[in-house]
Amino acid sequence: MKIHRTLTIIAIILITWSASVSAEDNQAEEIMKKAHLALFYAGDDGSADVVMTIVNSKGKERMREFTMLRLDLEDGGKQFYYTYFRKPHDVSRLTFMVHKVPFETDSRWLYIPAVDLVKRISADDKNSSFVGSDFTYEDVSGRHWSEDNHKLLRTDILGGRDVHVIESIPEAGHKGFSRKVSFIDAKHFLPLKEEYYDKKGEMERVYTAELIEDIEGIRTPTLRKMENVKKNQYTVVEFTNISYNVGLKDNIFTERYLKNPPREYIK
Amino acid sequence: MKRFFTEFSINHPWTIIVAVVLITAFFAAQLPDIKIDTDPENMLEADEPVRVFDHEVKEEFAISDFIAVGVVDEGGVFNKGLLTNIYRIINEVAEIEGVVADDILAPSTVDDIRQEDGILTVRTLMAEEPDSDRHARYILSRIKDNPILRGKLASDDGKAIAMFIPIESKNMSHRIAGEIREIVDRHSNGEEYFIAGLPVAEDSFGAEMFRQMAVSAPLAGIIILLLMLIFFRNVKIVIAPMIVAVVSVIWAMGLLILTGNTVHIMSSMIPIFLIPIAVLNSIHIISEFHDRYQKYKHKKTTIKSTISDLFVPMLFTSVTTIVGFISLALTPIPPVRVFGIFVAFGIFVAWLLSITFNPAFAVLVSDKSLRKFGRADNEHGPLSGVMHLLRDFSARHYKGILFGSAVVVVAAAVGLSLIVVNDNPVKWFKQNHPLRVADRALNKHLAGTYMNYLIFESDDADAMKDPETLRYIEKFQRYLEQNRVVGSTTGLTDIVKKVRYELYDGDSSMNAIPDSRDEVAQNVFLFEISGGDPGDLFKFVTQDYSKTNVWVQMREGDNNSVMLVVNDAEVFFADNPPPASLEMHWAGLPYVNVVWQDKMVGGMRSALLSSFVVVFIIMVFLFRSPILGLISMLPLSITITAIYGAIGYIGKPYDMPIAVLSSLTLGLSIDFAIHFIKRSKYIHQKTGDFRKTFPEIFEGLARAIGRNVLVIAIGFVPMFFSSLVPYITVGLFFFAIMTVSGAVTMLLLPAVFIVGRARLFPVGEVKHVRAKKEEVRK
Repeated sequence: MKIHRTLTIIAIILITWSASVSAEDNQAEEIMKKAHLALFYAGDDGSADVVMTIVNSKGKERMREFTMLRLDLEDGGKQFYYTYFRKPHDVSRLTFMVHKVPFETDSRWLYIPAVDLVKRISADDKNSSFVGSDFTYEDVSGRHWSEDNHKLLRTDILGGRDVHVIESIPEAGHKGFSRKVSFIDAKHFLPLKEEYYDKKGEMERVYTAELIEDIEGIRTPTLRKMENVKKNQYTVVEFTNISYNVGLKDNIFTERYLKNPPREYIK
Repeated sequence: MKRFFTEFSINHPWTIIVAVVLITAFFAAQLPDIKIDTDPENMLEADEPVRVFDHEVKEEFAISDFIAVGVVDEGGVFNKGLLTNIYRIINEVAEIEGVVADDILAPSTVDDIRQEDGILTVRTLMAEEPDSDRHARYILSRIKDNPILRGKLASDDGKAIAMFIPIESKNMSHRIAGEIREIVDRHSNGEEYFIAGLPVAEDSFGAEMFRQMAVSAPLAGIIILLLMLIFFRNVKIVIAPMIVAVVSVIWAMGLLILTGNTVHIMSSMIPIFLIPIAVLNSIHIISEFHDRYQKYKHKKTTIKSTISDLFVPMLFTSVTTIVGFISLALTPIPPVRVFGIFVAFGIFVAWLLSITFNPAFAVLVSDKSLRKFGRADNEHGPLSGVMHLLRDFSARHYKGILFGSAVVVVAAAVGLSLIVVNDNPVKWFKQNHPLRVADRALNKHLAGTYMNYLIFESDDADAMKDPETLRYIEKFQRYLEQNRVVGSTTGLTDIVKKVRYELYDGDSSMNAIPDSRDEVAQNVFLFEISGGDPGDLFKFVTQDYSKTNVWVQMREGDNNSVMLVVNDAEVFFADNPPPASLEMHWAGLPYVNVVWQDKMVGGMRSALLSSFVVVFIIMVFLFRSPILGLISMLPLSITITAIYGAIGYIGKPYDMPIAVLSSLTLGLSIDFAIHFIKRSKYIHQKTGDFRKTFPEIFEGLARAIGRNVLVIAIGFVPMFFSSLVPYITVGLFFFAIMTVSGAVTMLLLPAVFIVGRARLFPVGEVKHVRAKKEEVRK
């Protein structure tokens, strides 16, 4: 009887322990899901003016200015993006549209004003550079949380804030990174920092939320930096005139509007 | 003074030997600190503008030097098996330490811009292993349809494929090439991989050179030792010159390292130059000692009389050789300066040792072991026989010799005019060296392994978005491509055109520079937004679009070939003024080589001329007679013109080693004349009658010269079989200098003596000398 009881206790301990392990993993994935939604799906839609500064290893700068519209059809699901370029001047009026469907290949269109032509462009490489910056397409529109295996490494303090430190490992052969370590704010779940490691296991890029502001009650990183530590270059993105829940219609995100930008949102 | 050194050495032999051992130990202790530098770029000063600019360009456009790897197969290389191998090889090569993996140019790494079902795609050309031969052929067709890749990655007939492996630093290329070789050998299914490119050639040369050095210098030393042994048959005696040679090498190299100089391609040759030069004086001493010992039978007396008679000629032969090498200090090429200065120092050391160490050493050799010395090779040996033949020949045919010399000079002058200045580090290797074979194979089929960069610069940002400017550069590219040396040119123009061509669904009428600045900018933007790597773009244009870089790929790396293209560019630029103000500059390793060649040729010319003048002045001073001074310059002048004239006829390009060797030729080929004239005068002082003087010249003195010719000339024969062309050249030069200047001295000078005997060897001079000696005694 005594043995029986001991065994039962051991069994209970084992079950609880293993449950807690998987609960930890669940917890990590849950955190990453919240982070994904907080960063990429804030509000039902949004618009912002963006100034992007690309600084190369010699300190030379390139600027891009554009207005970005976003409409979420479903939280964590399908999204539309519309980008209207203002600067440099020789690409002003150029527009760019993305239909993002998680787990599927995006659709991307570009309107080239100089020749008055809309062109579909390939989207099967999400890890290529976004308009020549250190951000990839995936950095801009997000990588679905369920695509990687997450593990909560520890909780820590970063810049005076409590953070969950989570390691994400993609399936083998993923081109973007071999390992990612995210520092997720424990309170509002925005990533404060992300470290991307290359296939040699060396740190390649570091994302940091340089400034987080309260916009219409939503915590929003308004100054974001992506540094390529290997190439010693970085890109800084500044968001202004941010508004959420502006009531974007899905018909804006069609080829017709590429040539004729919606004036009520893009002045 | 001349007595002091020798007297002291004879009386205190151990002091001299201990001093030499201590100083040698001190310099030998410096040798482990050796710093090796095999980069030919360091032939130029660090702040040389072309070099600084080349670095700026590479920095600004993030360009690395490349190792080219390729496969050539007449049966075609675009099949599943071979491309699979290449895919796997590149994956491994990318992992090599020092390879700039991001910038590898290979089918599995470069982007292809293409059109698929109306969708514009910038995507890796061969993103995964090809699944069929059809897929492989498709990849070839994509390369052919892309002016950025065409010719570079594959030949149009599909018989050759190339990959370009960028490396962080040139001086890693030998190691990296070795690792690539190991990888391709492991993957190869029988196909042969060629590895080529200027950086590998330059770096491998350095590596191989030091290996050669470790063989050539000791080998020459051993052969010289053996030859001396044959002549003098006494190990104890002939070991002394070898010690002098080795000690002067150690002192020179030790001082070079101590003063913080790096051992460059040139300075690695210091031992091979010093050994024979150091031995020369000693052979004269031993020869005289050898010939006189049997007469005096007294060691110290023999030594004193030998050194006393040889002191002045040895001093002057050393000074002239030093002048020849010191003149290299006038060249604008730092390693050549270091080389010249330290060879000169070594020669000084060798001279000092031959009048101190040699006598001291000889004193310590027991009389017993000298008993037989000098008996074996007396006045009736084969060497004497040859000298007597020369004596009779020059006495009988002196007019013919003078005429023949004149003919040689005229013919050599014609040869001199045929000399072509040219160099190519790849050709420092022999024809059948793997690097040469690879160079030929890849450059025959592909756009070339020699990469130069033509930079166009404007003061205005965005200048390179101007359609007029782009069209001008496009026209410029087409013009350069007409040169047979140019395999391909690639620039921003090609990216703009390719994007536009694909944007319009492969409409070839759109394969042109657009008409508006905005369209240019938007085409480039389209490239970037479609997934094109901005890193690729900025290898051709700066971020502010004020500068553009046209890659000019060449099939030949000879300086002359590169010059052809450079001149073409100058001509086009002069005839076709650019639409906006543009500056044009060249960068790239082959171009840097052209610049240092120019500097070297000019520098060597002034070094040679100045040392020629200095040597002439020294000769006039030595003989106290302008006429004898002139006569003494004859063998040297004829030797130089004959050797360089021969080079002109043979068609061997005047390259770095040949340029540097002119100072050696000058310094060495005067030596025999100095000994010959000086000793002839001595002899005449004793005989007072030219009819007695003349035959006497062809005895001891002639034998010493003959021994020198044989020892040095034969000592360098093994270098003819070196795998490195500059080593062969050095060996041939020593051989030619010795034989030609020896022959000219032994034939022409006697002929001149006969013609000018009345003036040069007046009868009764002997009385004058005797009278003077008596005067001194009183």
